[in-house]
Formats: sequence, structure tokens, C-alpha cells
Amino acid sequence: MTTTLILSQAAVALHGVSRVFGRGPSAVHAVDDVTLEFPRGGWTAVMGPSGSGKSTLLHCAAGLERVDTGRVMLGDTDLSAATDSQLTALRRTRIGFVFQSFNLIGSLTAEQNVALPLRLAGKRPSRSVVRATLDAVGLADRARHRPRELSGGQQQRVAIARAMVTRPEVLFADEPTGALDSTAARTVLDLMRAMADAGQSIVMVTHDPGAAARADAVIFLRDGRVVDRLSGADTRQVADRLAAWEH
Amino acid sequence: MLRMSRAGLADRWTLFVGALLSVTLGVALVQSSLLLLISAATSSLEDGDAAVAMLGIMLGGATFLAGFIISSTFAFTVDQRRRDLALLRLVGGSRSQVRRLLLGEALLLGLGGAALGVPAGLVVMDVQEWLMHRFEFVPEGFTGQWRMWILGVSVGTGLLLAIAGVLVAAHRAARVRPLEALRETGPAARVMTAGRWIAGLLFFGGALALMIVAPHGGPAGGQAMAMNVAMPAAVAVVAFAPLLVPLLARLMPFGGGVLGSLARANVRDARRRSASVAAPLIVLVALVVGNTGAGTTFTTSGIAEVARSTRADLVVQGRVPAGFTDGTVSTELSLPGEITTGQGEDQETEAISVLVVDPAAYSAVHTTPVAVRGKAVVAGPGGDVPTSGTVHVRLPQGDLGELPVVGAVPATMSGGANLLLPPGLVPEAQLASASAVSYVALKPGADPAAVRTALARFGPVTSVGDWLKSDAAARNDINQKVLLMVLGLGALYALIGVVNAIVIGAATRRREFAEARVTGLTRGQVVRAALLEAYAVTGAGLLLGALAAASALIAAVATTSAVTGTATLDLPWTLIGVTALVALTVTGLTSLITSWSATRRAPVTLLAARE
Ligand SMILES: Nc1ncnc2c1ncn2[C@@H]1O[C@H](COP(=O)(O)OP(=O)(O)OP(=O)(O)O)[C@@H](O)[C@H]1O
Ligand SMILES: [Mg+2]
Repeated sequence: MTTTLILSQAAVALHGVSRVFGRGPSAVHAVDDVTLEFPRGGWTAVMGPSGSGKSTLLHCAAGLERVDTGRVMLGDTDLSAATDSQLTALRRTRIGFVFQSFNLIGSLTAEQNVALPLRLAGKRPSRSVVRATLDAVGLADRARHRPRELSGGQQQRVAIARAMVTRPEVLFADEPTGALDSTAARTVLDLMRAMADAGQSIVMVTHDPGAAARADAVIFLRDGRVVDRLSGADTRQVADRLAAWEH
Repeated sequence: MLRMSRAGLADRWTLFVGALLSVTLGVALVQSSLLLLISAATSSLEDGDAAVAMLGIMLGGATFLAGFIISSTFAFTVDQRRRDLALLRLVGGSRSQVRRLLLGEALLLGLGGAALGVPAGLVVMDVQEWLMHRFEFVPEGFTGQWRMWILGVSVGTGLLLAIAGVLVAAHRAARVRPLEALRETGPAARVMTAGRWIAGLLFFGGALALMIVAPHGGPAGGQAMAMNVAMPAAVAVVAFAPLLVPLLARLMPFGGGVLGSLARANVRDARRRSASVAAPLIVLVALVVGNTGAGTTFTTSGIAEVARSTRADLVVQGRVPAGFTDGTVSTELSLPGEITTGQGEDQETEAISVLVVDPAAYSAVHTTPVAVRGKAVVAGPGGDVPTSGTVHVRLPQGDLGELPVVGAVPATMSGGANLLLPPGLVPEAQLASASAVSYVALKPGADPAAVRTALARFGPVTSVGDWLKSDAAARNDINQKVLLMVLGLGALYALIGVVNAIVIGAATRRREFAEARVTGLTRGQVVRAALLEAYAVTGAGLLLGALAAASALIAAVATTSAVTGTATLDLPWTLIGVTALVALTVTGLTSLITSWSATRRAPVTLLAARE
């Protein structure tokens, strides 16, 4: 009984969330009254046409973007009511990010980039933890390289290692494979699949039906609203559903 | 945090070269000026006041300018690094950590600047000593003495300058939002901040008030106010630079073609960068053209004013004895003195210069009545003394006692003696040491050449025009020298500021340059477009500097008109030309060198790394 209760509790829950950019007639309802739960220990993909509000939804869910109405709950923490320093603390401990443009700090080596969140949290990262995290993304031998000395796929894996080093409750990824070729993308998706199988909650925005098919569930957005969802679908089914919603 | 600061500095050292240079120069100048100041103050110099005053101004100026450049450098680098700082926030950095990162960088810069500044200070001290001897502020044999404690002062100066310079930028940086890390090109962060509007309007108001009041300030007050218009006007223009520079720069002739339109688009797009390059240029032009232009205007106006009221042909530097029959002679004997005015608590003593004149001859030559007779004296063209009541006058060799002041001759732009004394009041023995000038108005029909030869017995003879010029020059001498040294310093700092802004701009543009090259531009074309852009911005900076300078010149012209009745404007065209040329050369060269080195690596390596 208890187990089901905990499992059914969402990693992130949105209640009536809206985000409007601009005012008056030119206002854009990027996220329009969305109520949604991202399950704990599951990998959810978010799809939709360009401009449908996927990134904005992700940013709101991760506490990076203020919401105009509604509530965002990370576990039992209300993100929409959190102060800047509370959000900072959350980013250090409970939330990890990966983005399309890998966003590594150019002056630091791969190892230092991975250790950064821990150091910012005032912890003294042990070398073995950092190395183990890099090893988990298959880059143990690139620890001393700077971002510009790594391939795009390698940089993205360093970014994933950086997001994972704090063992976050939820990993948010916005088109993590968007800038990679299919081989590099597959490596990254395999990595994320392994993480999800080990119980990691993941929310991922993607354009690629192949990537979405690796997730446990797919939700479809259009004009800032959730219009559909699929679970356990293959690439073909996801692509067909997406095509159906794109016009 | 300090380790990150160090890594950041090492990787982006080009961003900080200018700041380091300004801290170094600031530390060097403060150290050298302070050592010389202490040496001058403790060495019982005969005429040390001018030297001490000059060193004091240098000390203040160097500190202010170093602080100004460092803070604008940090403000600019923070703007250019918004993505990096946002990224730090994204992976869990707190606001205070961002602040501490920048403070750490400033700390390292301060220490580095002090380490370089101490030895540089010794070189600067040699230069300053040489200049002070050259300009005769100090006698031969005067040298600055090294003090051990100055090491502490220099390190402290470096740290203080750097830390104070970073505070505003750190505050601004702490407000960068984590989401800004995700925008490909930094958001057009609001450039016209509330602070800029407030500062701009405040300083504009200050400059305007000085311009309005200066003509009513009399000769001395008016000049002082007009000389202080350029600075606040420059600060106001700099505050509005993000609005004004792109506007003006777009009007510059870019030439047609793809490079011209690329450069024009860049100027419009990068308002913050354009404004940062133009700002020190605006200060440079405003200071140099505004202040020296106002100075030459006042000098010329002063000479013209005296020339209009003087009815004389020749001037003899000596005493022409009575009995000269070819014309009227006003022999004027000048002595230093002291004047005491007021009673009891309000009593004040001032150093003045007195002039012993023959009332009839003085009236005839200077076309103004002087009622000196017996013990009655009159306030001179230099002003600064009461025009009624009594004053107590002391001369080096005797006390003249209480003397009634019975009137005044009009105060003039170029000043002169403060008090006119009748003959017979000062014993002849005391007059032997006085310096004498005789104005000679020739009788109609007299032969100037013959009279000139005859007068040569009494001292060197010049035409009255030449005399007025050299007299005005001598009187302005000290002021001009101080102005020159301080302006030189300001110009040096302004140029460092320009170089700095261009270097920072180019360092953060590697990616943009690389994108332009993969789009099909050659390296040479990229460099040329950057050069065009630099020239447009320089042109805009020069024009805006001229605008700020013009406000000082308007105040000066209005003052000459109010004081002398004739509006005068005299501009130092050579200096203006040299300033423009130096500005164009420095910006051109810096732009060439930096964009050339920023395009050294193949474009693909830059585009591959998505940092
Ligand atoms: N900061 C902003 N200011 C104004 N409008 C914004 C801002 N961010 C997003 N929008 C608008 O909100 C809408 C949704 O944008 P969002 O970035 O969430 O779309 P998306 O689904 O991620 O698109 P894409 O697939 O192209 O990344 C768009 O119309 C966009 O123009
Ligand atoms: Mg998006």
C-alpha cells in the first residue's frame, strides 16, 4: 500500500499553470492553463510544433521561469512560491539541467565542469565521485580536456554528467540531442534510458520521434495546451501522432 | 570561488588587460605623486605651493580616473559575460557567489596592479620629477624620496581601486537570471538603465546650470565656472551614449557594398559595445577641446579687452624718467603685498599685488579715471579687494597702515594688480625693488622709430600688442602648466579606456567573426568590416565629445561677452586636429590588431565548441 502511494506521487506536478508573454492584443499564451504530472522514476517526453510552448513549460516546471497563475510542485516543495535563494538551493540538490547547446564553462576542464555544482554547494567533491560520474557517461579518459577539445556528443555527455553529479530528483532536458548526429544522439539516449531504468525521473523536450519513443510516455502540446498523450509507443506511432497534431 | 576567479582571468585575460593597466597606472601615479608630495611638503621649498597643489590634483585625478575606467571595464565585461554568469546560476550558483566571483577577480587584479604599479611608480616618479623641473615647479636638485611604508599604501590603493570599481558591476551581475544562459545571443539587456537616465539628467542639469550662471559670475568666477562645464557635460553625454552613439554612427559614411552594410548593422545591434568605445573618446575630446578652448578663448578675450581700453603705442620694461616729451608716459611699479580686511573674528589677510601709478597718466593710457591721491587707494583690474571702506596694507619692507579705498577701475578678464596706489605713499627706497612697466602714448607727429631708439636706454621696448600678449601668457603660466599635466593624464587614461573597450569587444566577438567567415567572408573582409565599424563609432564619439566641449565653449563665449562687452571665441585648431588624429589612429590600430588576432584560429574550431 505504502509503496504504491509513494510511487504514484509525482516527481513534478503542475496545477493550472499559465505563462503569458507580452500584453494586450500581442500577448502570447506560451503555456495556457496546464495541469499535468510527471511521474516519479519515469521518463516523459514533451513534443509539439515549434512555438507550442515546450521550452516554456519545461522552464516553468524547473523553476527557471516565473508562472503567472497556477502552482508548480517539486515533490512537496512549491516552486512557484520559492524565493531566489530557495530556488538556487534546489538547483544545487534536487534539479539537474541539460540543454541543446551544451552550456559548459569554457575555461574549465570536463572534470571541473562536472565538479562545479558540488563546489557551488560548498561541498568538497571527492575526485572518485567526479571520475565515477564521468565514467558513467563514458568519458573517464577525457577528464582533463576543455570543452573546445571535445566533440559535440562528448560535450553533451559532460553536461549530463554535470547534471547527474548531484543525484537530482528530476533531470530536465531541452532537446538534448538536437545538436547531435544520429550516432552521438543514440549514445546520449542510451545513457538516459539507463538512468531512467535505474529510477531517475526525466522530463525531456524533443522534436525527434525516435528520441521520444525511448521515453516511457509522450505528451503533446499545441498552443500552450496539452492535447494528447501516449505511453509505450514506438517511433512510428509517435511520428504519426505528431504529424496529426502539426496541422 | 577564488579558484574560479583565477581560471576565469586566465582564460579571458584579454578582457582584463585594460583594467589591469588602469590599476597599475593608478597605483604608480598615486605612489609617485604621494612620495613627491611628501618630499615637497617636508623639504621647506621656497615656492612649494604650486608644486604641492599640482601634485594634489594629480593624486585626485589619477584616483578618480582609475576608478572610472576600472568600473566601466567591469560593467562592460559583466555585460559581455552575461551568459557565463547565468550559466553559473543555472548549475546552482547563488547571487552572492556571482558577486564573490567578480570580487575575487577584482582582488586578483588589484594585487596584480599593485605588483606592477610599485616598480612602474618609480619610473613615473622619474618622469614627474623631470616634468616638474622642466616646468620649474621645483628647484634643481629636488628629488622624491622613497619611503618604506609606501609599499603598504600602494597595495592598499590597488585593492581599493579594484574593489570599489567592481561593486556596481557585481551588484548588476548578481541579478542576471539563470535563463539568460539559454539564449544564443545575449539578450539586448536594457542599456538605458534607470541609473543612466538619472545620472545623465543630473549631470546635464549641472552643466546647464553652470552655463547659465557663468556669465553672471564676473571675470574670475565666470572663468572658473566655464572651465568646469566640460566634465559634467561629458558625463551626461556618456550616460546617454547608448542612445546617441548608434544614431550618429549610422550617419557616418560607410561606403556602399556588403561590408558597409554589415558594419552599419553591427553598430546598430551592439549599442552597448559602441557606447563603451565612444565613452572615453567623449571624455577625451570634451576635456581637451572644451577646457583648452575655453582657456584660449579667455586669454584672447582678455588681451582684446585690454587692447581696446589701452591708448598707448609702446611699452618699456623699465622706468621712463620724467621729462620725456614725445608723449604721455604711465610708469607703473608693481610690488607684492598683503592686505588685511575686516575686524576681529572676520579679519582676513590675503596676498595681493599692488601697483604704484601716476593717476593722470594712468587715466590717459588706460582710459579710466583713477582717484588715487594722498592716502586714498583704488581697487585694481585684478579685483578681489573691497571697493570701499579701509584696508590695511603691508609691503615687504614696510607697513602702510590703514588706507581708505575710494573706488575701483573695471575688473578685467585677464586680471592684473589688485590695488592701485598713488605716488608718494611708498618710500622711494622701497620702490627700488619694484618691477616697472612704462606705457608710452606717442604725441601726434612723433617718429615711432626714433622714439623707440631713445626709449631703449630705459629697458627693452615692445609694441603694446606684443606686450599684452606676453604679459597674458606669463600670468596664465602656472595655470596652463597644471592644466597641461592634468589634461595629459586625463588623455592618457581616456586612450587606455578606448583601447580597453575595443579589446574587450573583439575578444568576445570571436564567435561572431567565425560565423561571418563561414558565411563566406574572407578574414580580410571581417577585419575591414570591424575597422569600418570602429571608425564609425570613433566618428560618433568625436562628434559627441565636440558637443560636450561646445557647452564649455558656449559658457566661455557668454562669459567673455558679459565681462568685456564683446563675445570672443578662439579655438586651438592644431590641438583639435591632433586629438582627432590620435583618436582615429588609436582606434584604427587597436581594431586592426584585435580583430586580426581574434580571427587567427580557423572558424570551425570556434563554432564547434558550444560553451
Ligand atoms: N522570453 C520570451 N518573451 C516573449 N515571448 C516568448 C519568450 N519565450 C517564449 N516566447 C514565446 O512563447 C511561445 C512558446 O515558446 P517556446 O520557446 O516555449 O516554444 P517551443 O515549443 O520550445 O518552440 P521550439 O520547438 O521552436 O523550441 C512562442 O510563441 C515564443 O515566441
Ligand atoms: Mg524550445
